[in-house]
Amino acid sequence: MVRPLSLTAMIAMMLPLVLLPLASIFIFGTSKGLGSFWAALTAPEAIFALKLSMVTSFWATCFNVLFGLFAAYVLSRYMFWGRTALIVTISLPTAIPTAVAGFSLLLLWGPYGVLGQWLAPYGVQLMFTPYAIVIANIFVTFPLAFGVMMSVFETMNRSLEEASATIGATRWQTFWHVTLPSLRGAIVTGALLTFARAVGEFGSTILVSGNLAFHTQTAPLYIFAKFNEGQVEAANAVAIVLALFSFFIFSILFFTRDWLDTE
Amino acid sequence: MQSEDFTSIFGLEEKLATPEPDEQTRKEFAAGVRGVSKSFSGTRVLEDIDFDVAEGESLVLLGASGSGKTTILRIIAGLEEPDTGRVILHGKDVTEMPARERGVGVIFQSYALFPRMNVEQNISYGLRIRRRPRSEIRETVDHLISLVRLEEHRKKYPSQLSGGQQQRVAIARTLAYKPQVLLFDEPFGALDAQTRVRLRREIHSLLKQVKVPAIFITHDQEEALELGDRIAVVNAGRIEQIGTPDQVYNRPETEYVATFLGAANLLLGVVNGELVEIGTAQIPASAELERLRDGQAIKLVFRPEDVHLSKTGTLPPNCRRLTNGIIEEINFVGAYERVMLRLDLVARQPTEGAPPLYNVTLNSLDRRTGIPIIVTRPKTEAATTCLRVGDRVAVGLMAFRVLPNYALASERAGRIIDVHK
Repeated sequence: MVRPLSLTAMIAMMLPLVLLPLASIFIFGTSKGLGSFWAALTAPEAIFALKLSMVTSFWATCFNVLFGLFAAYVLSRYMFWGRTALIVTISLPTAIPTAVAGFSLLLLWGPYGVLGQWLAPYGVQLMFTPYAIVIANIFVTFPLAFGVMMSVFETMNRSLEEASATIGATRWQTFWHVTLPSLRGAIVTGALLTFARAVGEFGSTILVSGNLAFHTQTAPLYIFAKFNEGQVEAANAVAIVLALFSFFIFSILFFTRDWLDTE
Repeated sequence: MQSEDFTSIFGLEEKLATPEPDEQTRKEFAAGVRGVSKSFSGTRVLEDIDFDVAEGESLVLLGASGSGKTTILRIIAGLEEPDTGRVILHGKDVTEMPARERGVGVIFQSYALFPRMNVEQNISYGLRIRRRPRSEIRETVDHLISLVRLEEHRKKYPSQLSGGQQQRVAIARTLAYKPQVLLFDEPFGALDAQTRVRLRREIHSLLKQVKVPAIFITHDQEEALELGDRIAVVNAGRIEQIGTPDQVYNRPETEYVATFLGAANLLLGVVNGELVEIGTAQIPASAELERLRDGQAIKLVFRPEDVHLSKTGTLPPNCRRLTNGIIEEINFVGAYERVMLRLDLVARQPTEGAPPLYNVTLNSLDRRTGIPIIVTRPKTEAATTCLRVGDRVAVGLMAFRVLPNYALASERAGRIIDVHK
């Protein structure tokens, strides 16, 4: 079969750009056999790093869904002076380089930080703890969840809520029975996007966490640390897990996008 | 439709707590609007709106797009606040009350059915949020589903229903919680002509059964005439006339009402004793001139179906002769014939201060300069007396209205003569 030139050209471009690097992880990781791969993966440090990533991302996701919903609801329903500025401000963190984001959090909450200096005398130290990771995750991923839910709120048919009001429902009843069901797609999308992004977050995490093994070392940080130490198989094992996990999340988003998009 | 079961749903219970003392005298009406005005961003949308709806009555708010009729509905429902004025439901002033406490049933133009709930759940919504016992909910929902004949569709979702079916669900949904008044916002806009006519009749008979007062909004005059016990014609935020379909159609009080509710011909003239002078043409009009002064500038308004044409010059006894004319065009429109003819009158340029009048002219096939009017002739008449283009005929009017012609009236499309008829 003769393939058109454009198809060949596209595959030739995609290969080195996207497919080959990903394939390399798998090729390298299993080159010394599955046994070696499994040993590297079940090392206590690796397990801790993966668990920490999941837990911090989970809490960041919970926050994002709840507050993202609240923020999207308020900002789409009420008109007030400064509203647009507020929406832009909330959406800003995605535009900031993650290292800058992490750095700015340190300057705020660090022991000599703008707010941190008032907490230090009480022994309260937010930075270089898992809490810092959650805060950093929220900072960089909130706009994702918020954006998804805001767009659904804005396109939602207002007369549904008016109908519910004229029928006699309170604001809360309307939100629960009418608004929320229409949002379930957005909530799931926002949660999945947040979670996947938070698990993979590196730039801000490495600054605010201090990268302390068995304490604040998330999976991406673990990969970085192990590679720097020359322990390539260890880094590789966790890299494979993260890659598979990301594929999993995005395939969910891809295959259920019709269900997620329904009004 | 099972009419016997219906009173059992509605019963005779008291609808509200004690009414306001100062509204005692007005308890007879179900819903009322008093002196309502509203502006949006500086633009006056409603001006001094005043009307009642009696128990079991259907009132139609008829007007063009942008006339403010939807705003009136939303104010009654509580979805908008009036700048001035009151809304009264069953004797109680509800102007300060939020929409959810008023107990009105709104059928939105888009029906606003909840997409994630099926037919049963949509209908039962009002009762579920009121925490009614499950047996009561089931019984009411069953009654309503059979009333609107949607038994086979009860588990379906709105996206699986046709427009007409969705509308029936919307109505059933409001009836479930026994509303004080039903408000329909252009309910037939999204439907095809046949469904529209059928649903109109169904809703009309349904409302007669349930005896809930209803207010409709529409821009379709045929719909208004069929649906309404009374019609309120709305123009640019004001009510021009309220009356029964017969009153509004046959005795329009302003030019706008006359032309909105059907085709109308309009000629300018002057009152002269018991006659109306249109140029040199004269037509006796003692009854129609009741409230007008001698010498007053007027507009003569008559409908195409009220004109009689005669080749011989003899007109039926109840018909008053206006003038002659030449037939310019004849169109066959199915049930009737539409004739366009030019009267032996031509418009004269108005001089300063004097009302515009007409000169006499003689039309012929080559010189067509007279005022054109539209006449419709029913099929039977067209068949017996055949008319052709170019025929000169006598024009007689079986009915007409005489309206005052105020100088500013042509800009504001008519002013109400007497609102407290």
